[in-house]
This record gives sequence, C-alpha cells and structure tokens, in this order.
Amino acid sequence: MRKLILLFHIIILTLPAALYAQSGTQKTIAGTVKDVDGVLPGATVIEKGIPANGTITNSAGKFRLTLKGKSNTIIVKFVGDITQEIVVAGKTNIDVNMATNAHGLDEVAVVGFGKTTRITSTGAVSSINAAEIREVPTANVQNTLAGRLPGFFSQQSSGQPGKDASDFFIRGVSSLNPNGNQPLIIVDDIEYTYDQLQQINVNEIETISILKDASTTAIYGIKGANGVLVVTTRRGKTGAPKINFRTEAGLQSNTITPVFLNAYQSAVLVDQAEANDNIGSPNPQKLTFTQTDLNLFQSGADPYGHPNVDWYNEIVNKYAYQTNANLDISGGTDRVKYFISGGALDQNGDLKYFPDPTGVLNNNYYFTRYDFRSNLDLKANNTLDLRLDVTTRFSDINQPLSGSSAIGSLYDFTQETPFTAPVLNPNGTFAYAYSSFNPSHLPTLNARLASGGNENSRRTDYNVLFNAAQKLDAITPGLTATARVAYASTEQYTAQNTPSSSAIPSYHFNAANNTYTLNPNGAYVFPPYEETGQTDIYTNDVNVQLFANYDRTFGSLNHVTGLLLLNQDAATTYANSAIILAPTQVGVPSKYRGISLRGGYDFAGKYLFDINAAYNGTDRFAPGHQFGIFPAMSLGYNMNKENYFKNLFPFFGLFKVRGSYGVVGSDAAPGNQYVYTQNYVQGGSAYSFGQNPTPYSTYSEGSLANNNVVWERQKELDFGIDMNLLKDNKLTATIDYFHNIRYDQLITPASVSEILGVGLPAVNLGKTQNQGIDGQIGYHSNIGKVQFNTSFVFSYAKNKILYEDEPQPAYPWLAQTGHSIGQPFGYHFLGYYTPADVATINKYEAAHGGSNIGDQAVAVPDNGEVIQPGDLKYADLNHDGIVNVDDERAIGYPNLPNTVLGLNLQAAYKGFSISVLFQGSFNYSFIVTGTGIEPFQSQFQPIMEQAWTPQNAANAEFPRLTQNPTTVNSPTFYPSDYWLINAYYIRLKTLELRYVVPSKYLPFHLSSGSIYLSSYNLFTWDNYHKYQQDPEISTNTVGDAYINQRVVNLGVQVGF
Amino acid sequence: MKNYKNKIFILIGLAAVILVSCRKHETFPVQDVTIQYVFDPRDSAGANALNFLLNVYSVVPYGHNRVNPDYLDAASDDAVSSGQGTEVSILSTGTYNSITLPSYENLWSNTNSTNTANCWNGIRYANEFINNIGVVPVKGFYNGIGTRYIWRNEARFLRAYFYFELLKRFGGIPLIGNQVFNINNNLNIPRSSFSDCVNYIVSECTSMQDSLITIPLANPASDNYRATKGAALALKAKVLLYAASPLFNDPTGSNTNPLTGYTNYDATRWATAAAAAQAVINLGGYSLDPVYTNVFATQNDPEIIFVRTANEGTPGYSIETDNAPVGYPAAIGNGQTSPTQDLVNAFPMSNGLPITNAASGYDPSNPYNNRDPRLNFNILHNGSPWLSTSLQTYEGGESKPDNGQQQTLTGYYMNKFMGNDAIGSTFAGHDEDWVVFRYADILLDYAEATNESSGTPGVTVYAQLEALRSRAGIAAGSNGTYGLTPNMTQAQMRVAIQNERRIEMPFEEQRYFDIRRWKIADSVMNAPRMGVSITNSNGALTYNYVQVLATKFIAPKMYLYPIPYTEVVANSSMKQNPGW
Repeated sequence: MRKLILLFHIIILTLPAALYAQSGTQKTIAGTVKDVDGVLPGATVIEKGIPANGTITNSAGKFRLTLKGKSNTIIVKFVGDITQEIVVAGKTNIDVNMATNAHGLDEVAVVGFGKTTRITSTGAVSSINAAEIREVPTANVQNTLAGRLPGFFSQQSSGQPGKDASDFFIRGVSSLNPNGNQPLIIVDDIEYTYDQLQQINVNEIETISILKDASTTAIYGIKGANGVLVVTTRRGKTGAPKINFRTEAGLQSNTITPVFLNAYQSAVLVDQAEANDNIGSPNPQKLTFTQTDLNLFQSGADPYGHPNVDWYNEIVNKYAYQTNANLDISGGTDRVKYFISGGALDQNGDLKYFPDPTGVLNNNYYFTRYDFRSNLDLKANNTLDLRLDVTTRFSDINQPLSGSSAIGSLYDFTQETPFTAPVLNPNGTFAYAYSSFNPSHLPTLNARLASGGNENSRRTDYNVLFNAAQKLDAITPGLTATARVAYASTEQYTAQNTPSSSAIPSYHFNAANNTYTLNPNGAYVFPPYEETGQTDIYTNDVNVQLFANYDRTFGSLNHVTGLLLLNQDAATTYANSAIILAPTQVGVPSKYRGISLRGGYDFAGKYLFDINAAYNGTDRFAPGHQFGIFPAMSLGYNMNKENYFKNLFPFFGLFKVRGSYGVVGSDAAPGNQYVYTQNYVQGGSAYSFGQNPTPYSTYSEGSLANNNVVWERQKELDFGIDMNLLKDNKLTATIDYFHNIRYDQLITPASVSEILGVGLPAVNLGKTQNQGIDGQIGYHSNIGKVQFNTSFVFSYAKNKILYEDEPQPAYPWLAQTGHSIGQPFGYHFLGYYTPADVATINKYEAAHGGSNIGDQAVAVPDNGEVIQPGDLKYADLNHDGIVNVDDERAIGYPNLPNTVLGLNLQAAYKGFSISVLFQGSFNYSFIVTGTGIEPFQSQFQPIMEQAWTPQNAANAEFPRLTQNPTTVNSPTFYPSDYWLINAYYIRLKTLELRYVVPSKYLPFHLSSGSIYLSSYNLFTWDNYHKYQQDPEISTNTVGDAYINQRVVNLGVQVGF
Repeated sequence: MKNYKNKIFILIGLAAVILVSCRKHETFPVQDVTIQYVFDPRDSAGANALNFLLNVYSVVPYGHNRVNPDYLDAASDDAVSSGQGTEVSILSTGTYNSITLPSYENLWSNTNSTNTANCWNGIRYANEFINNIGVVPVKGFYNGIGTRYIWRNEARFLRAYFYFELLKRFGGIPLIGNQVFNINNNLNIPRSSFSDCVNYIVSECTSMQDSLITIPLANPASDNYRATKGAALALKAKVLLYAASPLFNDPTGSNTNPLTGYTNYDATRWATAAAAAQAVINLGGYSLDPVYTNVFATQNDPEIIFVRTANEGTPGYSIETDNAPVGYPAAIGNGQTSPTQDLVNAFPMSNGLPITNAASGYDPSNPYNNRDPRLNFNILHNGSPWLSTSLQTYEGGESKPDNGQQQTLTGYYMNKFMGNDAIGSTFAGHDEDWVVFRYADILLDYAEATNESSGTPGVTVYAQLEALRSRAGIAAGSNGTYGLTPNMTQAQMRVAIQNERRIEMPFEEQRYFDIRRWKIADSVMNAPRMGVSITNSNGALTYNYVQVLATKFIAPKMYLYPIPYTEVVANSSMKQNPGW
C-alpha cells in the first residue's frame, strides 16, 4: 500500500507546474445557444486556446463569457451536437445554432474512464448515439447493434420472449477456449454480465461504444482481449423539467413459416420410403398406407379415421402482441441534475393460447420487464461533484413446459404427424397420436401445451453507484480525483409447475363404431401440478474504483492528459440449487484487482501520442501467477493540419493516420476456474461392499492441477485512417486494419499419452491469429430541403488456429490447425450412388470376401449398411474403398459469419423522416440435423418430394427416402457438404418512418410530439432452400429454436 | 493546498482500508479435498482412504449393457444388436480402425463412465492407493495382517486385473510399476512384451494371494464383494489360460513379434494353466450352484468368485427395459439383444446330444422342445413363457410386430440376467451384479487346459463337463456321460469344450474373446449371422432361417485391437499392432 501512495505522489508532484500568459484585451461575449428543439441549457462554451476559461449555458440557454486570449473564437459544445467554433471578433452578442450530429462521426466517443473524439482518438473505437436505436422494437440492446458498429459480430439464435438476446463478439473470435471470447461489458464504468446487459432498457442509454484495439482496451488489462462494449446512461441537463413519454404497440410474427406436407403427401412419401427399404430385404414389409388410405387422406372424407391436420397453423399464432412504454423526466439546476426513467415492456409468445384445463396457471410464452433508473448529479461545492445512480429491473419469463420448444415438437415426426390424430375429438376431448410412427402415443401437442405446466423465471436486478469527483486545481490545474463504489446484485428464481403425472385424459375416437378409447398411457382426470426444479441464484458484485484524471493544455499547443486508476472487484454467486453450478463456482468471490495508467500528449492537435498500461490480476490463478502487465501505445498524425497537405488536398477536413500496438489479456478459464488447485472429487454412491450394500461415496483424483496457469494474452496491432472530405465534411470514412495473435490460450493438451491415467488440466498452449478490416463510410447532404444521410458499415474478421496441441492427424486433410476456430469437418458430396455404382460395389465385394476395402472405383460407408441407388456418395479421400472418419475434411465456414455489412439510409424532409438499415452476414455455414430435416424424424417437408427415385434421378434434390436413421444419408451420422449450407443473408433489419409534429400543432402545451412506425427483421433474403429455418441458426442443431421474430411497431412520443 | 493534501491522504487511507478489508473471504473453494485428507495419517478408520479404494474398484468394467447399450457378446457370433448403428455392430462388421475403435470397447483411452472404464485411470488410482495407504493407520488385522496391507493388496489385485483387460485386447502394454506420473514426466513409455506382461500379472497374483481375505468370509456383512484369495487365483488361472491359447502361444511358432504373443511355442504353458485352475478348485469353498439361474440372482452364491457390484444408476438396473421383448405395454422392453440362430443351435437336446445327431430326437418343426434347459435360461423364443403369456415372435406377432420400431432381428430375445419374469404382469428395475469370475468358468478353464496338455482327454476332463451338464439339467443317460461322446480324441474334446463354454456362459463377455484366443474368429465371424423368421398360418408355424447380418472379421489384424491412434501419435515409443 505504501508503494501505491508513493507512486500516486510522484505522479502528481512531477507533473510540470502550470503557466500561461494572460494578455490581450478582455472582452465579454453574451449569447443564446439553440438547436432545432429550442434553447439548449447545459451547453459548454469555451474560449479557444484557453480551456480553463469556459462557462455553461443556463436554463434559458444563455451564456456570458469574458474572453482573455487573442483568438477571438469561442467553442460551443453540446453532447450529441456538432461542436462549433465561432469567430466573435467585433461581436458582443451572438446566437449559436447547434446542429444535431446525426451521422455520428464527430461526436464524443466514450472509452474506458474517459472520452475521446474522432479528431483526437488514436485507437480503434466505434460508437453510436443510442437515440438512433431507441425505437428499434426489440427488448435487447445487443440485437440492435449488428450492422451499425464496425467490428461488431452477432448471431441471434432464438426469438423467445425474454431469451432472444444475440451472442456477440468484437472483431470475431480469437480464443479456442469456448468461454474465452465474450467481450467485457462496461456500463457507466462498471462491469456487467451478459445477463445484466440484456435487462437494460435502451431508453436509459446515452451512448454505446466498442473498443477494439490494444490502446483502448489495455486499461482493462487482463480482461481486455475480447474487446469492450462500453455503455453510458443518460444524465440530466440544466434546465426546466423535461418530461418525455413514449408508448408503442407492435405485432410480432415468425420470420419464417415452415411448410410441411399434408397427410396425403406425407403418406405417399412414407410408402415410398418403405418401398425403398424393401428392396433387397429378406423380409419385405407391407406398406403402411393402402391406396384406400391415400384416397381418404386426399378427400378428407374421414376426418377422424384419416385426419389431415396442419399442426403448425393449429398451434402457432400468426401474430403476437407486444407493448412498450417509457417515461423519463430530466432537468436540473446548477446544483442538482437528474434523469429519472421508467419503462415497461410486455411481449407475448407466438403460440395460440391453449388454456390449462384445470384453470390454475398460465402456460404460454410471455416476457414482462419493468425498469427504473434514477441518475442524480449533485454539485456539493465548486470543486466537488457527487453522483448517485440507482437502477432496478424486474423481469418475468414464462414458457410452456411441455416441449419447452414447441417449434421442436412441431418439426418432430415421432411426436405427431399430419395423419396422427385430429386436433380435438368430436366430443371435445383431446386426442392422442395414433399411428405406428408415434409409438409413445403422446397426446396431441395442443393437449400437451394445455396441461403440461409452465416454467417461470423471475429476476430482479439492482444496481447502485456512488461517485465523488473532487477537482484538485489547487494542487495543479486540470487534476481531478474520483472515488466510486458500485454494487450490483441479481436474484433469479426459476421453478417449474409440472403435472404430477404425464398421464392426461386423451382418447382415440373410432368413427366406425363411434367409440372412444383411453390412451394406454392416459388417465381419466388431469393430474394436479407440483413445483419442481426450483433454482434460486443470487449474485452480487462490489466494485471500488479510485482514480485521478489530469487534463491540461500548456501553452495552447501542448495538451497533456493522464489517468491513474485503482480498480477492485469482487463478484460472488450463490445458488440455492445442487444442479446448476458446480460447487467450485459457487460461494467463493471471484476477485479482480489492478492499477491502470493512461498518459496522452498531443501537440497542436497534430501529433498525438497515447500510452496505456494496466497491472492487474485475478484470483483464478495461483499466488505468484496472478498479476500481469498489459501495455499498449498508440500514435496519431492529423496530416490535414500540415500546410503541405492542405495545399495538396484542400478537400480533406480531416485526414488522420493512426496506429496502435499492445498486449492485453483474457482471464476466462475453461470449466473450473481454479485450475491451479488439485482436487479429490467425491463421487456419490459409486461402489459398495457388504451383504446389504449401502453405497459408499468414493473419492477419486480430479484432473491434475496446473500450478503455472495464467491468463491468455493477445498481441494487437491496429492501423487506422480517419477522413472527413468535401464541404461540411459531407463524406466521412474510418477504416481499420487489425492483426491479432492470441497466445498462451488455455486448452487441454491433446497429445499426452493416456498412460498418465488422469484428466489433464488446461495449459497455456493454444495460439491463434485473427485479422481483418472494418470501418464505416458516411455521406450526408441535402437536396433542397431533403436531408439525407447514408452510412455503410463493414466488418471482416478471419481467424486461424496456429497451434492447438493437435495430435498428428492420420491424413493431412484431418488437421484442424491452420483452419478457423469452429471450422466444420465432413464428407465431400460427389453425387448420388447410381445403379451402376451399386453393381460395381457388389462385384468387388463378391470377389473380395464381402469386403469393399481397396475398391478404387466406388467407396462405401463403413456403417455396415447396404448401399442403394440414391444414397449420397462421398469422396473417399484416402482411396481405401471405405468412407469413414478418415475421409472427413474441412467443409464450408464456421457458424459465426466472418463478414458483416450494414447499410443505413436516412432521409428527412421537414417533420418527416425515414431510416432504413440493411444488415447482411456472409461467409458462414450450418447444418440442420434430426427433427429439422431427416425423414421420419422431421415432418415431411416439400423438398422431400424431390427425393431421389429411379424416375427423377436427374433432378433429385434429396437422397433416397429411408426409415433407417443411420444411413449415409443422415446429416447426424455423415455430416457433409451436401447438408452444409454456405449461407448468407441480407435483412431489412430496421425500418423507421417518423413524423415530428410541428410545435404549433401540438395541443395541451406539449413541447414535442412525434409518431413513428418502426420494424425489426421486416424482410430477409437468403441463399438456401434446403432448410426451413431462420438464417441466424447455430450449426448441428435440430432446428428447434424458437423462431426469430419480425416486429412491426407503432409508437407515439410526446414531451412536456 | 495543504487541506487538499490531507484530503488525498484521507482518501488513499480509506482506499487502503477497503482494499485490505476485502481479504477476509476465502480465496478458493474450501470444499476442495486434498490428498492429505484422503490419506489422513490420523484416521484410524481409514474412511476416506477406503472411499478412494472403492473408486478403484468401480473402474472394473461392468458388463451389463456395457457397450452402449449392448452386451459385448452382440459383437460375437452369439448375438446381434437390434439397434441400428450401434457400437457392437461396428465391432461385428469389422468397420473400425485405430481412430474409430468404438469408445465403449476402448478401455485404453475412453472416458470413465458408469458402464465403461479407462484401465489406465484404474492403474493410476491403484498406484496412488498403493503408494499412499501406508500412512493411514487403519485399525484391525486379518489373519495377522494389518488391514491397510489387505487393502493395498486389493488395489494390487485390481491393478493386475486392469492389466489383464488391456492385455487380452491389445497384447503387450507398458508396465509402469508403482509410478504415479505427473504432466512433466516423460510418458514416452514403450510396450512391454506379452511375455513380460503375463509374468508381471502372475507374479503380482502370486505375491498378493496370501494377503487377501479368504472365503468363507469372516464378516460377510461388511466384506462381501471384496477381492479374495480366490479372486487372485482365478485371475492368475485366467491369464495363464489366455497365455497358453493359440492366439498368444502360436503352435506353428511363427510369431516373431514379442508384443503380440510369445515368440516360441511351448506346450507346457497349458499344464501351467491347468495347474493354476486346479489351485482355485483346490482352494475349496466354491461349488456349482445346483440352480443355474441362481448364479446371477443370488448374493454370496457359492459359485461366485469375484463380481463387479451393481449400484443404482448402472445400466444393469435396466436390463429388463433394455432387453426384454417388445410388445408388452405394461412392461416396456426394447429387445436390444437378439441372440442368433447359431447360438440356439449350439444347445444340445435335453439328452445332451447335439441337434445334428440323428439320435438326438430334434424335431425341426418343434425346434425348442426337449432342449438343454440352458437354452430357456438364456434365450426367449417363440412360445417361451413371458409375463404370464406365451411369447409371440412369429412375423407380426406381439413381440415381432414388424412395424418399424426396434424389435428382435433374429426372432429371439435374451433371457439371461432377467428376474423371474415368466410370471407376473410387469417388472421393475433392479441392481444386477456383474459376475467377473465364477466357478463354472474355472472348471471349463481346467478342462480345456488339461485336455490340451494331456493329449488324450481323461476322466478329469469329462468330469468337469459332466458336472456342468448335470447341474444344467441334462439327463445323465445310460452311459452316464450326459450326452458326451465317450473316448473323444483331444480335437473332438476341444470342440466339445468350446461348445460347452459357449452354452454355459453366453452374454458373459466370454465368447467374444474365446473365439479370438482360439483363433477361430476368422472362420466364425465371416460366416453369416442367422435368425429365424416364423410364419404363423392359423397356428401352423413355419420356420425359415434367414441371414440377419453380414459380420466381418479381417484376419489376422483384428485378433488384437489397434492401439488408439491418439496414443500412437502422443507416445513416440508406442508401437502399433500389426496390420493397423
């Protein structure tokens, strides 16, 4: 501790003393600052060259400033507006009209513990003003960012109310450790978890930045390697209370509507598959459906004996309703400023409502969330600023328990089929699956949804932040010391109301003799519910930060900034449940502590130099290996300020080149965070002795400890250019190239002999490279009175495994090293086996004792099943006559897109405005398996009508239908580039139409009012027809995720 | 100025207080258990050390539905799996290589789970126990030997057993003695020769056998299931029998690879094996249970030498649901194991004569009448009593509905290990022990080794088979040979013993290895696997015998498993088995 104090002292005392000359004549300027909404209280007015000489406009937007220098220029700043420099020579009274910074490029970007601007930044930062995304009708802030922030990659794999938050990554992924790619999330300088971020109401947010390179993330040191998402919340501004109320109502619908074949079409294909399976079988089986059956399915003459049910439309609603309301009040005086906000969100699910027959609980999907925030700023005296932020959020997520994915049940052929059962029997009772394809005789999906109970999860988040900032100009001008304490807690209680028995009343109606037969697994009454699966998870997090800021300009040209930060955090999770979290993850605080330092110098705004470093560590590692140093430096050169450049390229308003290099870390350890401790694991009732054995518990040696485990490290290199061109900086561009090497990655060694006899710990071995380019090009102008504004955002990040301790592969194509993280491997599709191929195989096998080994002409899979014409034929890469794991090679791309593009178009005419965002993701792949596509697991889908038969062999789009689930045609057992889709999609992600009512038409003394229509995921274009799935889908899933939602939303905003 | 300095000092001071005061919480999970706690030098009960030993025991493979979810015998000629794409079908169709060796049969490098074992884990755990138990002052003596030394010898027995499980699959393996490696040790350890491995296991058994508990158990209430002297002797007999068998003791003497077997042929190895089996018999205390089915249903059965106990959650708990016939709504069975016609045909008639013998009285139109009672004990066929009904396995019958769901492929279901389910209307799961060594096995070992070593089968060879047949319920016959041909040659007797092993011990993980060590897998497994297709025409049954699976065996490489590929690349000294 003494060392810390000493260090603190040295930094303060060695900073050069301040000196600047006061000269020239004094002159007082007065004026009013306005923007389109009216007068602007709280705008900053500073004399150019003398930053200490400034004032803030009062509640009427007026200011008065006595100039001391010679520049005769004032600088007017307001958050969200373009900063203006105004020459005031010869004037004493001036009206300043501020323009909103709609194109988001010159504004202040929030970085860790400070701010930067486009002109002075030397690092890679992208940011947006949250006003741009406030009306996007989705509950989660991260869903709104794709295509808006260069370097931001996301994938939304569920549309379920309350669980639809996207996974997101900054500049793609670099770590082989699956937990090691989550960006750090910082809200008002305090670390948030993914869960907490999802709960934030966008209405409370002021700005969002992502920090992408070492110079901006090094201050977070051991947690910075995955990039940082920085969020600041809105604060009050001096002025009369402004009340703002917004209410919206929207309709949600599924982005895709899967089409399944009807009973007749399905039955035909069932017979086709059975006929296929009978070929060459010693015991040909009778086809399930006779021509009479087929005729009845087609005519619909026997709706109970031969039903034909479109289950998707019976179960899923076309539209679901959502509402959202926000109320905020902000304002302030010179002493106190406040921003108080409340929000309520209510989303319904996409299923029709099947009421609980016992009438006791709500078993449908829904999500409700209430947010409250109060941000207070107090000026205790002229030098001491206090701040108190309090936030609470309550949410309630409900879902039906029966088939927690109802979509999965709809796809699942084994649960019900179009010909399985009617929706309800004629007497109104529930029916059950009555077909040989549904051996478990499940009641119909509507019966299971109605009586299956629910899972309900209630969550409370609570955050409080206290901050005191003391100006220490008395020690040296420009110095501020800040202390901050933040506390965050969450509690989440989840429970399931389960029927005490799965036996519910369901009957098979026999139309021929008008009788009802109870389901063999059924009961005559509905069972009561019991509460099961209760989990109660509490987390709390205490964060203490002490920091000193220094910001001073010497001589008007030498601008020096500095930051010294002490940061400490302890996060604890308690779980009132035995199953959710391992004991090693519960109850012990996870601690983090460090010192960070930042120094900046710029000369005349021309030469920029920044240095950042952190010395920090966590208790995840053994004593002695806990703390590391993470340095970074960056340089910037504003070339447009050089005369030679101005002469050569007068159309550049800004031309800055910059570069940064540094090392940052990631402390996420896979699995057990205490890799350094050797644990002997207690196993429950594993073995027993004795005559009436009572199982003893056992002890066994856990995975070996790794005493030397440390954090992952990443070397980050970034070059960027920032440009503003043309008159009024109409064209702006920022382009960054980055090259990162992630090394010392924690992976479990794969090339250690089994003779060791025990599990291995994670070891710092892996190494990957990640490089790419991202940026944003914007253009804004006006044609007559129409203002328009365009920006194009692009992100490309491609990673490569350099070392992962992979055992020497048997064949070079099996190697993962050299490919991207998550690279899929599978077989290469050559075509369908032809009858000639099968003859060749039979001939070879007859001559070689029934074995195809060594057959150079046609290879067969090694699953022991007989190949038939129409099966998928894969390349035999090692030419051994057998298709097996030796023949799998890299196919397609990883599931996370490596290219994301966004095109944002905005136009405004008087009060009307339109804003459109197209977002596209490219270069990614996925496979759907099981109930998503495989015959007799999935419902029959239209593409299966194109299955290979001898007649349409030339036009086949699907392999031979078979009942056998393990053939070479199964994507589960034989992943291949036949099933793998190299996908892209382009989405009309958001569309917003707005009309701002001119104030003269506003009734009731309203100060502002607007009406808007906004939408989310309105249209999607993609490039595949094999699967009926939303394009944002994880690979190798059965395609049962809750389908992503398209939302059309109508909103009204009024201000008082 | 001064005021501000003071304020800074106060702030920094407060910060220091906050930072320091945060150190009160524990910094790592105190629930973690250290080795000092497991092997506690103050614990005279040795409770935790015993729990560690129990964990070593739990690595012993548990055979019921072990090869997820099949019996290993479904990869032999005795049965096939009714499931599709199962691991045993990869084994039986010979479609594996060093990378794709099915994980539940890969005792070298799979992950431990309830129904499978990683023998290298077991060896390491045993070594940790052997090295550390000495510090635990466990109270008590047995026959004058301190309890902790008894326990240590149990761990040595288990270690030897794990080596045997590896040896019979892979040939010679690295012998690592008592070493417990850490990650910094050189693990490039070469394989020891087959001969050295046999010698090591035998010498370990010999040195520990007299320092284990003996039967009759002094305290069965607490010691039942522990490894006994009998278990050590049985293991020794078993290893020596394998070592004498043609696969490893090649009669042509042409083997030159010391890793895969002896490089010389030595007929006296049979005599050594016979003597080792004799030693178990001479130990006394074991006998054949007069009721065959009791062996698998009774604790402390006099026939049992060593078992791997069941415990809740092991797959044995669901033997019935996994293997019982389909078609009983009140008692769902999945019919996982389909015994083959080949196995059914191996059972003689109840007079002991093989069904191919014209005098046997075999009636092809009533093929299950008057057969060796072990047929019914082991196999359910059409007409077998099951859940108070008569089993229907004809095409379209309740238990062979041919409706697309899993059902028997061969027309037969497995009956062994089930409770008495011929009566009643349903069954419940129950814990079923897995018998590792039983007395009948030793008698067969003895008969085989004696026949091979003596040249002409004498009366002691006949006596073993007759004892088994008598117990099974075969009629002694007028000549008292229980249907065995008198005065067989050595070769005839070899066939008789091999058949007797097959019908006495189906589904006990014997046949799969027997056909390998006898080197007959090449001919057996390349023959078609047959089942029965019965058509029922108004009660008139017609039996058609159909091929149900084409099994494949590539000789000679498949006589031993490949060393897993990952091991060969991770260990530069590891030599692969020939052909892989």
